[in-house]
Amino acid sequence: MLIYKKAGIRGAWIRWFMCTLLSLLHGVISETSRALDIMTKYPLIDGHNDLALRLRMHHNNKLSTFNMYNNPKVATDISRLIAGHVGGQVFAAYVLCTAQDKDAVRLTLEQIDVIRRMCTENPEMELVTTAEGMKNSTKIACLISIEGGHSIDSSLAALRMFYQLGVRSMALTHNCNTPWAESSSSYYTYYQQKNNSLTEFGKAVVNEMNRLGMLVDLSHSSWETARAVLKHSTAPVIFTHSAAYAICNNIRNVPDDQLLLLKENGGLIMVNFYSSFVACSNNTNMSVVADHFDHLKRVIGAESIGIGADFDGAIGFPKGLEDVSKYPALIEELISRNWTEEELAGVLRLNFLRVFQKVEKVRKLILVSNQSGINCKLNCNLFPCTLDIEPPSHLALCERKQVSELRLRSVS
Amino acid sequence: MDWVKTVYLVLWAFTYNSVADDFKEQALKLMADTPLIDGHNDLPWQMRSLFNNQLNMVDLNKLNTTHTNIPKIKEGRLSAQFWAAYVPCDTQYKDAVRQTLEQIDVIHRMCHEYPEVFKFAASSQDILDAFEQNKTASLIGVEGGHSIDSSLGTLRTMYQLGVRYLTITHSCNTPWADNWLVDTGSEPEMHGGLSEFGKQVIWEMNRIGMLIDLSHVSEKVMNQVLDISKAPIIFSHSSAYSVCNHKRNVPDDVLMRVKEKRGIVMVNFYNDYVTCSPTANISDVADHFDHIKKVAGSSIIGFGGDYDGVTRVPEGLGDVSKYPDLVAELLRRKWSEDEIRDALGRNLLRVFSEVRDHLNGTKPDDIPIPLKEVQNPCRTDFGYQDKSSSTSYHSLLYHSFKLKLFHVCSCLL
Repeated sequence: MLIYKKAGIRGAWIRWFMCTLLSLLHGVISETSRALDIMTKYPLIDGHNDLALRLRMHHNNKLSTFNMYNNPKVATDISRLIAGHVGGQVFAAYVLCTAQDKDAVRLTLEQIDVIRRMCTENPEMELVTTAEGMKNSTKIACLISIEGGHSIDSSLAALRMFYQLGVRSMALTHNCNTPWAESSSSYYTYYQQKNNSLTEFGKAVVNEMNRLGMLVDLSHSSWETARAVLKHSTAPVIFTHSAAYAICNNIRNVPDDQLLLLKENGGLIMVNFYSSFVACSNNTNMSVVADHFDHLKRVIGAESIGIGADFDGAIGFPKGLEDVSKYPALIEELISRNWTEEELAGVLRLNFLRVFQKVEKVRKLILVSNQSGINCKLNCNLFPCTLDIEPPSHLALCERKQVSELRLRSVS
Repeated sequence: MDWVKTVYLVLWAFTYNSVADDFKEQALKLMADTPLIDGHNDLPWQMRSLFNNQLNMVDLNKLNTTHTNIPKIKEGRLSAQFWAAYVPCDTQYKDAVRQTLEQIDVIHRMCHEYPEVFKFAASSQDILDAFEQNKTASLIGVEGGHSIDSSLGTLRTMYQLGVRYLTITHSCNTPWADNWLVDTGSEPEMHGGLSEFGKQVIWEMNRIGMLIDLSHVSEKVMNQVLDISKAPIIFSHSSAYSVCNHKRNVPDDVLMRVKEKRGIVMVNFYNDYVTCSPTANISDVADHFDHIKKVAGSSIIGFGGDYDGVTRVPEGLGDVSKYPDLVAELLRRKWSEDEIRDALGRNLLRVFSEVRDHLNGTKPDDIPIPLKEVQNPCRTDFGYQDKSSSTSYHSLLYHSFKLKLFHVCSCLL
């Protein structure tokens, strides 16, 4: 302290400067440590990760050639999941839309298999299939999801078998329409149906998902499909990786009116971090991501929000949120915007667990199973990759015949 | 002295009948303490072809157009059944996988719809538990390698769904194994038995504990699998070639190898495989049992009726209620109670447990089938790195990655 006495007025300025610096630093450090504290208490459950896609793309699912611990070629590995305080991750079993009506089912089984292997071969991870399992896990708990109804090839039996394999969430569409639901993307023009964005069979799919206790995921669905599902579903639904349309008007995001329907439904929106969906541009930062959280809190409350970053599902993430180790930085930002611990605990995991538990409860409540094999007949002449097994004539044809007519119209 | 002859005749007839009744009674007694495990029944296929898998349109207690229904199962003392998840060979290179999932699903739903009759099973212990509860243990066998679409991931997930045997081929070659028609000359041989990938399939089945079923395969496949398999194998529904020289049956040298491997041959009742003709009777079927016992011993015998998978079944074995009559015939032929118990279920239980024991904790096989062995218009090839036009592929990939739009496949649409 001798230096300050000798300095005089200059010393006062130095004192002031040092105090400000120290208190700023203290604020920052304490926000960081608060974020880490909160995430230690409430490890994140993230709604959507595409590591399995990268495994297919770059390694053809040869897990034995892939370094799960430290891998700079991807945004997700075990070290960074731990650093990011991730306690649960929903891994997407995604297959390309170009496989629709071809080998989508087999490819989906292979993705489910690679996720299962990834989560059972590494001691830091474990595969779970229930909310309870997710809640009580002390490792990185993996849940399997499917990204696109084309994976079930319009077969409720396939849906049921996926459930039995541990799939607990399915996005009704990816970037392509299915014969029974519409995508938000119009890149593929087939299976377009005017004013029928969720057909009778689509409703049967939703019913079956409710009955099984599988989360209905509306990310990638068209707005009309989403509205129809929100009206029809008896269980809460989720958007596993979508953001707020009001902040960035990308068709993949959710408009305010739909958010209100979601709130009524008791569902959840898990915020996507991809720059194009967050800022409608390639170049953005964490603050814009936090803006989405603030907006959603304003419109539907923190209890309806979660995180579904979409890491490894896209190229181009905000500065400061490049990979799975960066989640604490976002929490820190939200703390600085006066989000409470309770709100953050909800966003991090409790909201997801609550919704998942509710979906499991709906499964138990639906006692009668009148799902005995609504099987659709497909016209083989129009679909070279299916074999038409002729059902007895006394059974009515269901939607697949209409589907085949639709397909014919769109390709001719 | 005619009246003496008549009395003698009547006495003889009376004795014969009561002896026959004795054998039947003895058979039923044996079947009460040892489960009858049948290796192959195609009721699920009947559910598809008659009812499009809509189980609410059928009552298995009353159905009378099939070999199998619940009252007949009870009368036949059928304690465990491998139900076939079968889809036709025509689905190969099309939607075989999805259709197979539907057949697996219908078996699960059947168990769910009739919980007092069927209990889903996936192990020897499950079979014994169901037997204890007086229910029919219901297991799943997928009939035909085409159902896995050359994918070890699909094999593993089907195991997860409860499938416990895979018949390596049905009546068509897969991209990795030849079927029995090759031995008749009516189909060209593709692989000389198993390809390299075929061997991968066998070893992966060993690793996960799935029974390898050699009914329907070519003779070369039979021998190659017996060479390389680390676990016992089964024939879920095949009979003895020496008795009826049909290429679906098992030649004597293979029977002996099955014995060495501690496997099982579960005898098929289809007339064409029993007598090599459209007609047969119980005695003809029992001849197969006798022959296999003579050549290789009773430790490799089982029952694999193929009910509801074939049209012509023997007189006296018209449906699944008739098993006790076959057992009675074996007793009449002086089979010991131990030998009968082996054939009924103990052999299969042994094989099943030993197959599980080979799960030795090695890593899953993640090497896919080479693309050139399996390319077809209904198969996309995303993930394979060995493509001809790699530069354009990679730039297209990068450009489209952001929106997860991949237009890699150049298949017809």
